[in-house]
Amino acid sequence: MSRVEWELFYNKFITYKGYQVALEGLVVTLEIAVFGLLIGIVIGTLIALIKMIPKEHRVARFFSAVCDVYVAIFRGTPMVVQLLIGWFVLLPSLGLQLNSVTVAICVFGMNSGAYVSEIMRSGIQAVDSGQLEAARAVGLGYWPAMMRVVVPQGVKNILPTLGNEFITLIKETSVVSFIAVVDVTKAFRQIGDSNYSYIIPYLMLALVYLVLVMLISLLVRLMERRLHKGDRHS
Amino acid sequence: MIDIRDLYKSFGSLAVLRGVSTTIHNGEKVAVIGPSGSGKSTLLRCMNLLEEPSAGEVWLDDRLLTRPDPYFYPEVMRASRTYASMMAQTTAATADEQILQRIRGERLLHRHEGRAFRTALAAVEEKSRLDINRARQRMGMVFQHFNLFNNMTVLQNLTLAPVQLKLKTREQAEQRGMELLERIGLADKRDQYPSTLSGGQKQRIAIVRALAMNPEVMLFDEPTSALDPEMVGEVLDLIKQLANDGMTMVIVTHEMGFAREVADRVLFMEDGNIAEEGTPAALFSSPKNARTQEFLSKVL
Ligand SMILES: Nc1ncnc2c1ncn2[C@@H]1O[C@H](COP(=O)(O)OP(=O)(O)OP(=O)(O)O)[C@@H](O)[C@H]1O
Ligand SMILES: [Mg+2]
Repeated sequence: MSRVEWELFYNKFITYKGYQVALEGLVVTLEIAVFGLLIGIVIGTLIALIKMIPKEHRVARFFSAVCDVYVAIFRGTPMVVQLLIGWFVLLPSLGLQLNSVTVAICVFGMNSGAYVSEIMRSGIQAVDSGQLEAARAVGLGYWPAMMRVVVPQGVKNILPTLGNEFITLIKETSVVSFIAVVDVTKAFRQIGDSNYSYIIPYLMLALVYLVLVMLISLLVRLMERRLHKGDRHS
Repeated sequence: MIDIRDLYKSFGSLAVLRGVSTTIHNGEKVAVIGPSGSGKSTLLRCMNLLEEPSAGEVWLDDRLLTRPDPYFYPEVMRASRTYASMMAQTTAATADEQILQRIRGERLLHRHEGRAFRTALAAVEEKSRLDINRARQRMGMVFQHFNLFNNMTVLQNLTLAPVQLKLKTREQAEQRGMELLERIGLADKRDQYPSTLSGGQKQRIAIVRALAMNPEVMLFDEPTSALDPEMVGEVLDLIKQLANDGMTMVIVTHEMGFAREVADRVLFMEDGNIAEEGTPAALFSSPKNARTQEFLSKVL
């Protein structure tokens, strides 16, 4: 890191307001991760619930199989490939007019849904089976028993894991420039491109992700601590 | 009254109940004893369908809780393909009864019995079957490991079912819940979560949670086995109170002294069957079955 490189970076980042591009990129990164996770939670919960329908009925088995295929596809292919297919294949062939950030959010949401469904399911399975039995034994139907007793305990189990899923998502969003989204990674790359000097911009970029992830882990840990406190005192 | 008719239950190839029949009359207190793995819990759990029996029926008063067992209904059996083909193969001299017996023994009956069979079975179901959630409201169950709802306060544990099932308004349910908590001296715990309570307190709350539904029958599955010794007494005392109030109950227990004191009738289970039954006095003092004698000599 020579002095010249620092000067080039300073020039671009401060004097020519490169930090604005970087900030906008950061917002886009967070946007994709946050909305992606929200969509993921909705889809994931839905899949987890469908998979929990008792398998006696043919319809239940059918939907369960559909969910299996969905999860297999999204877990079995790289994120970048899913983005490329969403942007260059599905979007034109469906004739939709969406901007690339929206597409990124949708793809990340659907991808994260596959992972969240597994997280949800294992969280719910970790709830002692006696809880469901006791709820059924007082006369509640399967769904009221699940919704009032089992699922709330399962969700509590998985909140920390969801935090980790969020961290994973944030890191994974760094590939969205493949479909022309300007996220924080792309922003720093542009700064580097403008001077043909990459060392400082990329190290700065790594630092930005690192700080972001550490902040979120901290929040997750605080949340975990509060949940456990609830166990003892409330 | 609970009527258990020739109940079978297998888990895969493991036959846990093998033709259990008994009737529990109103007001009767029945203790179920027997070695570990003999099927006591499974029998109890079949009574409120936490386990689905493989064959046989359970009746609550005049209503059927389980799926109808086709073998009990000649008109259903006559509609079955298996039955019809067996009739064709045997000589006319053979009585219906014998064939039924044989089919039953070999458990040939399965899904492909034809539409007439399904219609006949559905007709039986239509006539007698009671919705299981309704049935469970009339039968309280108490588990070895309490199974209080961990995500709810003590009072919410008591009010969830009555409110959710629209049997009571929230106010009524809370009032009744508080009465029950006062009865067991735990009214001050109303807003605590189960994780803060002792085992004895949890189990007493689990008992009144069941009582909050005003059940006709209470089923207890080793209610004191998971408790520290000093807490066993408080739970047994509460169960005795219920017994004195005339509650019908079935109690799976290893507490022989308690069974002797409270039960009107004791069932000794062995290997998926009721090997011996009788009044506590008769069964404990002069057991007839060799296995009963052996079991009692170990535990008494
Ligand atoms: N869900 C299940 N799946 C498979 N096997 C089971 C299941 N529930 C019970 N069993 C088996 O059935 C047998 C009888 O079990 P059950 O719990 O009824 O015995 P028990 O008489 O209550 O014994 P204990 O005194 O130890 O409680 C045991 O061998 C047990 O392993
Ligand atoms: Mg048992």
